[in-house]
Amino acid sequence: MASEQHEELGISHVTIDGIEGQVVRVELPDGTTQDWRLSSLPKGVREGDVIRIDVQGGDVDIEIDHEETDRRLALGQRQLDSLNAKAPDGDIDL
Amino acid sequence: MRRFFLLAALLGGGAVAQTALPGVLTIRFLDVGQGDAVLITAPEGQSLLYDGGRSEKRMTELLAQYGVKSLAVVAASHADADHITGLIPAVQMFKPRFFLNNGIAATTQTFGKLTAAVQAAGTQGLLAKDQVINLGSVKVTVLPPPLGMPKTDQNLNSVGLLIEYGTFKALMTGDSETAETQGWLRAYPASKLGPIDVYKSIHHGAKNGDNPVWLRAVRPSNVVIGVGPNNYGHPTSEALNLYKSVGAAIYRTDLNGTVTITVQPGGKYSLGTGKGTGTTPQAAPPRVTPQPLPRVTPPVVPALPSSLTYPNCAAVRAAGKAPLLAGQPGYSRKLDRDGDGRACE
Repeated sequence: MASEQHEELGISHVTIDGIEGQVVRVELPDGTTQDWRLSSLPKGVREGDVIRIDVQGGDVDIEIDHEETDRRLALGQRQLDSLNAKAPDGDIDL
Repeated sequence: MRRFFLLAALLGGGAVAQTALPGVLTIRFLDVGQGDAVLITAPEGQSLLYDGGRSEKRMTELLAQYGVKSLAVVAASHADADHITGLIPAVQMFKPRFFLNNGIAATTQTFGKLTAAVQAAGTQGLLAKDQVINLGSVKVTVLPPPLGMPKTDQNLNSVGLLIEYGTFKALMTGDSETAETQGWLRAYPASKLGPIDVYKSIHHGAKNGDNPVWLRAVRPSNVVIGVGPNNYGHPTSEALNLYKSVGAAIYRTDLNGTVTITVQPGGKYSLGTGKGTGTTPQAAPPRVTPQPLPRVTPPVVPALPSSLTYPNCAAVRAAGKAPLLAGQPGYSRKLDRDGDGRACE
């Protein structure tokens, strides 16, 4: 029974929003942020990395999801580039 | 004397209308908790919001409190959540004409939500470059990230703003670090950068932001630190000592609330705080008690047996844990009504 419950936990993703020394500001799945210890995350983690957390049967597996990181970065960059595409040159008077 | 201080709580803390005094530039360093948000309103009424703090709810409240009726520009110094989250409701409410940014996407949901809001509002993206935004009679010079900054680092690509009205100058440079300030020192003559009347502390007073060479060029008279309860040690003693060493008066949004600067035509200005008088901390800083950060996974990962939850604030207080800070065991959004990272205040 217990293992069945754990299996329902499954996979979730969090995102590294910022690294402040040994503390990492992580964006949780609900969009809020929380501070975690750097040591609790995979070695070499960098700002912007998407972290895959797999909880199964009481085991927790954490790794950098490079594919998801790249996908989100590409998508975000396309959106931002599109927004900036028609920016005016020169001084702006408001 | 081109500057004087009027430590009037009304200026900083009350529900003052956005265009309270004709002919006056108003700059408010908003008390958004740990994060940055600066509201700049020209004498003619146009407003620019530089960063938005980390709480949508808090920013919504502040925009209402200060009677904001419109925003011409929202600017993200960079894409970290404690700088852009509050820009989301600002864009949704006021559909500003421009969204100034550093051109580097983030992978967070918060960033995606912001760009979606900008698109839905019909707001024009504005990639930071050498450009002047004339906010009515106020000259806002954009300081884009210098050449050579690694595109993988948001802090090093912070967008700065130099605000000039008469002889008055204010400067804000996001969460930039030494490499970026060195780049700006190469790009601009010292006479452009300083002396600065009001200066936003880099990166909430972090150790790796402001540095002696940069501050000697900037020569700030007043430093305002956008800071709230945090686990990062902000502001650091190194930064505070640095500000003192250049003779600057120090204001902190955690101790002084919203800090408001009112600038008269010509450049004479006054500075008011929501509480306290700044310069020297008049109360012990609200130190965050050293706390056990989650070791591996957060409470939101469903049903982890180590998750600690409180049904309500009464239970938190009964346990002697109030206030609970974001990151502490038992913290949850439902207990943090104003979303400032302090539950059961």
